[in-house]
Amino acid sequence: MMQLWDVEVKSRKIEIVLILAVFLASLPLILNYGLLILSSFSTEMVTNLDPTSFRPTIDNWILLFEGRLSVTGGVREDVVRYTINTAIVALGVAGVVVLVSVMAGYAMSRMNFKGRSLIMQMILLLHAFPGVALIIAVYLIFRATLPSDIELARIYSFAYVIVARAALEIPMSIWLIKGFFDRVPWEVEWAAIIDGASRLRVWREVMLPMVKPGIAAIAIFAFLAGWEDLIYVRTFLFDRTLATYIESNINVEFAYMPLLAAAGTLYLLPTILFFILTQRLLLETSTGGIKG
Amino acid sequence: MAGNTTKYAIIGIIIIIIIAIGAYYATQKPAQTTTTPTTTSSPSPTTTSSPSPTTTTAPPKTVELTGDFNKDIIAVGKALEANGISEVKFTVWAAGDPNSVMRIYGIYEAAHRINKIWADNGINVKITVNKYWISDFNQLYQEYLSKQPLGQAGDFFVDSYVFIGSLAKEGYILDITPWVNKYWDSVFSDFYKPLWQGMKVGDKYYGIPQDTEARPLYIRKDVAKCIGWDLSNVADLVKEGKFTWKDVYEKAKEAVSKGCSEWGLIHRKGSAHPDLIQFIYAFGGKLYDPEKDKLVLDVPAVYKWLYVEWKFAQDGLLPKDIMSWDWAKQIHPTIVEGKTLFDIGGTWYWTEWQTKDYYTDPNTGEKRGLKPEEVKEWFYYTLFPAGEEGLKPVTLSQPFAWMINSRAGEQNPKYDELKDLYHKLAFLIVVKASDPDINAIHSVISAHVPVRKKATELLYDKDWINKLVNLQLDLAPEVKDNIKDIVATTVNEINVEFLANVSYMLDYTHMAPNHPKYPALADIFAETVDQVLRGQMTPEEAVQHIISRIQADPELSQAVEIVGEIPGGWQFP
Repeated sequence: MMQLWDVEVKSRKIEIVLILAVFLASLPLILNYGLLILSSFSTEMVTNLDPTSFRPTIDNWILLFEGRLSVTGGVREDVVRYTINTAIVALGVAGVVVLVSVMAGYAMSRMNFKGRSLIMQMILLLHAFPGVALIIAVYLIFRATLPSDIELARIYSFAYVIVARAALEIPMSIWLIKGFFDRVPWEVEWAAIIDGASRLRVWREVMLPMVKPGIAAIAIFAFLAGWEDLIYVRTFLFDRTLATYIESNINVEFAYMPLLAAAGTLYLLPTILFFILTQRLLLETSTGGIKG
Repeated sequence: MAGNTTKYAIIGIIIIIIIAIGAYYATQKPAQTTTTPTTTSSPSPTTTSSPSPTTTTAPPKTVELTGDFNKDIIAVGKALEANGISEVKFTVWAAGDPNSVMRIYGIYEAAHRINKIWADNGINVKITVNKYWISDFNQLYQEYLSKQPLGQAGDFFVDSYVFIGSLAKEGYILDITPWVNKYWDSVFSDFYKPLWQGMKVGDKYYGIPQDTEARPLYIRKDVAKCIGWDLSNVADLVKEGKFTWKDVYEKAKEAVSKGCSEWGLIHRKGSAHPDLIQFIYAFGGKLYDPEKDKLVLDVPAVYKWLYVEWKFAQDGLLPKDIMSWDWAKQIHPTIVEGKTLFDIGGTWYWTEWQTKDYYTDPNTGEKRGLKPEEVKEWFYYTLFPAGEEGLKPVTLSQPFAWMINSRAGEQNPKYDELKDLYHKLAFLIVVKASDPDINAIHSVISAHVPVRKKATELLYDKDWINKLVNLQLDLAPEVKDNIKDIVATTVNEINVEFLANVSYMLDYTHMAPNHPKYPALADIFAETVDQVLRGQMTPEEAVQHIISRIQADPELSQAVEIVGEIPGGWQFP
């Protein structure tokens, strides 16, 4: 008997195999995060997969918010302040990236000017530069432009790290958002222009609402890039973030690891939350479409 | 096509020119001034508003240090007040284990005491201190390196002496030689002399010892008893060079073969500096030639060190993968649970074993710290034995130092005018932070060895110890608050007795070379030891590997002198 195969319908067996393969591929990641979170609620790390290592406690979280690095002793740290600093950098990077990318992406998508193609290629080239490769030059500029006033310098260091980190994200974001603008039919924009709207108004009131998923996606990626950044933050920021706090206390023989697991979990929370809340949006982005 | 290529080339050239111009201007910023303290007064022609109602002459911009602390600090206070300064802010940067909080709070306490002197003398100036703490002292150094040129590093930098050389060379810390000389008789002559060797670059002082430690060889008394070994005179035999590493090997082998312990020896991991280089000194080798200012690869001593490591690992007495063992899950539990006869550790282990839950109680199955009585009952300690008969035992110290930023006080008003005054105040704060009781408190709660004799004397003063236990000492409230839980856990007769008993080890101490290329050589040692232990190299191959690694690095090969040859016919044990 002939069996009808529909391209949309996969064999149940293949589906199970695929799910299993994806699960197995993700397992180390899930396991690592799971053990980290579990360790943060234990007096001992449970990373050796020994269930007897798990001795439940919430003391690590209490110690963390008390700014302690160990059960006994230790200089108290302002972890809440570090969390706020991390959020300032992450939100700042997201803000700058969105602002620049949606304007540049629109121009690249809709405006015809000399060198447009070259600029697009150069932007892509910029993305190929890893942040580390640029850091010496970026440091020299930072050093040359740093205000002499101590307090002003601290504020400047926030602004600088935000702009420098955003600069690394902008090239890819421009390309990403340009794809969204490209998919908006020209007729929609013409109709608005015929109705008397200025180019700026068209961009703001017609185009932007239509590329909202794209904006959300670049905002999320930029936020996470800022939140997770270690090298730029460590080099340019005078204040601490969660990343530098964890990094500076983990690589010592006397580190109280369950407490650092709690700090790591706290550090992960926004990432996990963002991915859970925006999963659908990111999938839309990865398939490159928008809802018509 | 050709047109496009030209276009790209032009754009590329423009970008390179812009970067070059940017880099030029960036590097043209006025260089950091290397501050050498003045010993003469520097009258400033600058007219500043003087708040002093009683005089119309310009307020003093500096004072002359005399070596009399009270006199000097009052003079500094009055000069600051005359210049309209009512508050001086300082920041202290320090690193270390959680019990070493006095590296921060020593400065707080010093400021508190100086504020009191000023208040008692009617001087309306106050010092306030901020703190910055990182556990990893290497990382603190890296951060200091990047933030100091930007004016954002701490005014006080409390870190290992090994960084003094490079920081002094860069001009990032103050040359305090004239002031140390002024205070030599009244304060610094009381410090253990060998420690000053690490504070100097050439003949200039750049740091003041803050703490130090020794690295004893711990021996499990219960395991020794199991093999019928009487430990009563072992420390003396070690001191006399009669108990050597050959004996350590024999005893370790006996313990393992009789099933008294799983391992014969456990040692520290990660960096081969400063711990394992004790072997080089124990085999009569050296690491540094002060006359040539060169590092030394003493081939015979290094070979013997690697051979001992290799032999222990090959015979199953030392874990082959110890260099990648976890501190909290493997190294310390193995030692505190008596699974090894010997351990090359540090004096700070003594309290670390009490404050960290490394021990699984066989009765309850719960993890806990050891009780002081248990540590005393289970652990015997000696110097690091001589490699062979006829040689001397050793230990190794890595003193921490108080260093003063060459931009100390920059966050305060009128810095350009009063720089010298701020620097001298910073120095006097460090002098105060070196008070015997502050140093003794640090030693007791962190199990470090005191840096000065008067602090050691306090360890024998039961009345003082009792006052510390009950926190009845006159300390700043903030300091008391931050040490109280450590005091409750660590200050007891057993721990104090231990510290007093190991102080003699400083007479045998060595230090890792204070040479800028030493960390690179130490990294090669660490990597090589790991491969030798794993059996991936024989000791001969390992020595050749070290030599080729040195020669592959042009700067390192310039800095290292390779002396001697692999000894033929040498046998161990």
